[in-house]
Amino acid sequence: MLNTLDSRALQRADCYGQRFMKSGDYPYNIVPAHGALISTDRPFMVRVRDGDTKSGMNQHDVPIKSCAGRFEVPDPELVINVGDMVLWNCNDPNALPYAVVGDHEFFRSNRLVNESGFSHAFGTADDYHWIDAHGSGASGIVRVRDPGCKGEEDLKRWRQTIAKGTLVTINDRNVEPSEVEIVTGQTVFFLVTKGPGISIIDARLLYRSAEETGKG
Amino acid sequence: MAEIIAALDEQGANTLLDTTIGLIPPQSSSGSENLGPFVAGYSVVATLTNGDVDLIPPDIIRLVDLRVDWDLDLSFGFDLSSILPDFCIPQICIDIPCVGEVCTPRICIDWPTISIPVSFGDFVKATGDFRLDISLVGGVWKVQAVIVGIPNLQFGATTALLLAAIGAAATPILLAIPFIGPFLAIAVNAILLAIGIAGVTGFLGPILTPFISGLKIPIYEQPKLFQILPAESPVDPRVDITIDLIAAAVAHNGAEDELVLTADVSP
Repeated sequence: MLNTLDSRALQRADCYGQRFMKSGDYPYNIVPAHGALISTDRPFMVRVRDGDTKSGMNQHDVPIKSCAGRFEVPDPELVINVGDMVLWNCNDPNALPYAVVGDHEFFRSNRLVNESGFSHAFGTADDYHWIDAHGSGASGIVRVRDPGCKGEEDLKRWRQTIAKGTLVTINDRNVEPSEVEIVTGQTVFFLVTKGPGISIIDARLLYRSAEETGKG
Repeated sequence: MAEIIAALDEQGANTLLDTTIGLIPPQSSSGSENLGPFVAGYSVVATLTNGDVDLIPPDIIRLVDLRVDWDLDLSFGFDLSSILPDFCIPQICIDIPCVGEVCTPRICIDWPTISIPVSFGDFVKATGDFRLDISLVGGVWKVQAVIVGIPNLQFGATTALLLAAIGAAATPILLAIPFIGPFLAIAVNAILLAIGIAGVTGFLGPILTPFISGLKIPIYEQPKLFQILPAESPVDPRVDITIDLIAAAVAHNGAEDELVLTADVSP
């Protein structure tokens, strides 16, 4: 399975979350990664209505299924209240990397603008220097350590550890904390409160891509 | 009575067989064979080295510690999920200040199918009894030592070493699989336990035994029509003799056993 850190190409251990702060209809599609500009179909809809905002933010999970190269959701029309968050994840082993793409500029998993998030469970121990492929200058480091499990007790401790997530908040170029240390299997939730439309990708992907196209 | 008699004692027979076995080129084979519960494709190259000769009347040459050096490339693939339970990342809830709690769903990972290539070399020794075989084929007399029966190859420490090589080869492949790191030792052990010593023996036996079980060691080869003097002039033509019959045996002669070749010849 793929487990690269790239919010532009969501994979199995990734989630994309978006809060909707204004009422209205928000059509969207789920397309293979980097296919956002090709497809103009918007078969799915998030209907945001003015509701009881005092009850706080509710979360709505959308489990994506992959079927013969197409992405499907159980309910094409989701009705939520203003201020709620919708979280998309595709736990299908056969799914290609994908993006959630809406008509509104803020509603795109490949360019996180505001009140949005991207979570990634890190499957391999390494140092991940992440950057914004769209050039905002936001960056940080996630140090993923091997838990060094030698026995049952170690594994038990590790399981408890991976049940805890780590939050990284991005506000324009400000990243807080800019460096985090976790163990293999742990999840980092990158929360974008405000930004020009950023992505979170392993810098090596960008450099490798540049080298392959002769622009390195 | 035979016109020509040649005899070799055990030391001489040892020297002869050192040479003839050393002239046998490396043999190779390839195919697929069960490696425990897996099916492994392989290619193997083997070379033989003579052991100690024991001549046993009336017609047995026993080779003690005949050595087979072998180099093996094998590769086997399997679905890791068949030996490891799938792993799930639990639901993660993160408190976002001033907003509330965001929870990711439980995400389950099923392990991929992997292929493990292994290169390994070692040797095995075997003791085999060879019977003398004489034939006249296409006008050429041949004396060969042909193995009797199928020797039992004893692999000993080889099996543990090959298992260790499989473990070493599997480790970097497993390390590249996301989320398996904490289970690496468990995964390697699961693979090695699935194969086991019996699996390695059951794999090596069928692929290495044929190098010995069908073994024929050439001892003597001579055309039936045998030139003993070349032509010197038109009035002094070449001189040939015909080997009418060849016999070979192991004979006990005094204190020694000897490999004896006899030939009946005619002009």
